[in-house]
Amino acid sequence: MTDVDVLSEAFELGFTYTRSTGPVMGRFLTALRDKRIEGIRASDGRVIVPPMEYDPETAAALDEFVEVGQEGEVMSWCWVSEPRRAHPLQQPFAWAMIKLDGADVAMIHCIAATDEAALHTGARVKVRWADEPRGHISDIACFELAGVAP
Amino acid sequence: MAQLAAVIGTGQTRYKTRRGDVSIAGLLREAAVNALEDAGLGFEDIDAVVIGKAPDMFEGIVMPECYLADALGANGKPMLRVHTAGSVGGSTALVAASHVQSGTFRRVLTVTFEKQSESNAMWALSTPQPFAVHLNAGAGGYFAPIIREYMRRSGAPYDVGIKVAVKDRLHGARNPLAHLQKPDITLQEVEESMMLWDPIRLLEACPSSDGACAMVIAAEDAVDSSPRPPAWIRGGAMRSEPTMYAGREEVNPRAGRDCAADVYAQAGIRDPRRELDCAEIYVPFSWYEPMWLENLGFAEEGQGWRLTMEGATSMDEGGDIPWNPSGGVLSSNPIGASGMIRFAEAARQVRGDAGAHQVEGARLAMGHAYGGGAQFFAMWIVGADKP
Repeated sequence: MTDVDVLSEAFELGFTYTRSTGPVMGRFLTALRDKRIEGIRASDGRVIVPPMEYDPETAAALDEFVEVGQEGEVMSWCWVSEPRRAHPLQQPFAWAMIKLDGADVAMIHCIAATDEAALHTGARVKVRWADEPRGHISDIACFELAGVAP
Repeated sequence: MAQLAAVIGTGQTRYKTRRGDVSIAGLLREAAVNALEDAGLGFEDIDAVVIGKAPDMFEGIVMPECYLADALGANGKPMLRVHTAGSVGGSTALVAASHVQSGTFRRVLTVTFEKQSESNAMWALSTPQPFAVHLNAGAGGYFAPIIREYMRRSGAPYDVGIKVAVKDRLHGARNPLAHLQKPDITLQEVEESMMLWDPIRLLEACPSSDGACAMVIAAEDAVDSSPRPPAWIRGGAMRSEPTMYAGREEVNPRAGRDCAADVYAQAGIRDPRRELDCAEIYVPFSWYEPMWLENLGFAEEGQGWRLTMEGATSMDEGGDIPWNPSGGVLSSNPIGASGMIRFAEAARQVRGDAGAHQVEGARLAMGHAYGGGAQFFAMWIVGADKP
């Protein structure tokens, strides 16, 4: 039996796209550019941040925007001790579920903290804005523990 | 089928080059809400949702059905996505119909869409692969040689496609939802438009559109919510074959002939030209009208172009079998939705709901879609009369 040279070759495939955010996510992102955070009121009265276009329970189109606070509470977190290049922060940090003041659900973002011991459920955090906000979720550069000097 | 099913609501967006004002979810939502309103129903009345779109690479969203569940009121309900290239709008309608015909669901919402302004539909069709020459042809480049072979075999005059291009745009000018609005189009204008893929000129090709189309399909005991009469589904069929194999008949694909024979048998049709009142047939490039006239048995092989040239398919010439009263794919082409638009427009005709493009007295109509390398076919016949 002779050896067969089975050929293989790596290849890349990529295309360019456009994405239209629509009136709800578009408004949320535009508000970030102005250093404000807007949620939306769901059919059951809860304020959802980031906002959703359609109610998760009733499917109704949602349009009652509610500005929420720039501070909030840590619901849960996961410490990243060795950040990789694609991570938003290059020092050890936490991914966290953060419930902003005035919101009824948590959103995921990152917290810059000196070490894991500084974090706990219920810890208060506040937004650190990017130097040049542009209408992108990374306009919130990260959250920091409230009352702690950076 | 165990149970009768009927279209009780249709909904469409206006078709445009770009709908930058809405998200993809918002685009579908418009069509879905329009269909529900037409059916006299709300999202809470719907038992299952079936969506369809062209390949994921077109808009770069993998598994759009997950992202779209909220917008379509599908949370907590069965939701399925259908995927058969350009024919997907038709096959999605048939899957939704079978959900009802099987007796499993009473009312199904079905929605298809494309936001071509956000996509890369042209080149995502023919991707480079290792160990193969990259065709990079796009749809027109793929179909042009097949059309040339049709012209050679049939001896059709060079301007048949030009006539179809004018006819469908004049039809489209009657339809306020149509993307291209060209009420003053002339044969000369089409002939002088840029040659894209010989023999397909710019105005013999479909546009790139943003848009969505939706329908509500209901069981026999649930058709009364709409103030309009139901469009009874009299037959539905799908067929597919590989893109390429030795000896494949590409001009007059067997899958299309077999699919038509099946759907006609279900509906009891022997002579489609005589028995149908109109048809909405997937014609993205003008010459596909004469080619499908033959493939679908409206004309003998080699003779389809004569019907076109005689005006048989034209509303404006008083033709006996109008094709694409809505303006067809040549007037609006949100790819994933284009097949369902054909199916929904057939339903609109037999419900007397087609406005200025209504074929007077239409009681039996055909919807048709094809996709891939003319290898996936989906067809249905809908009627005003309950079978």
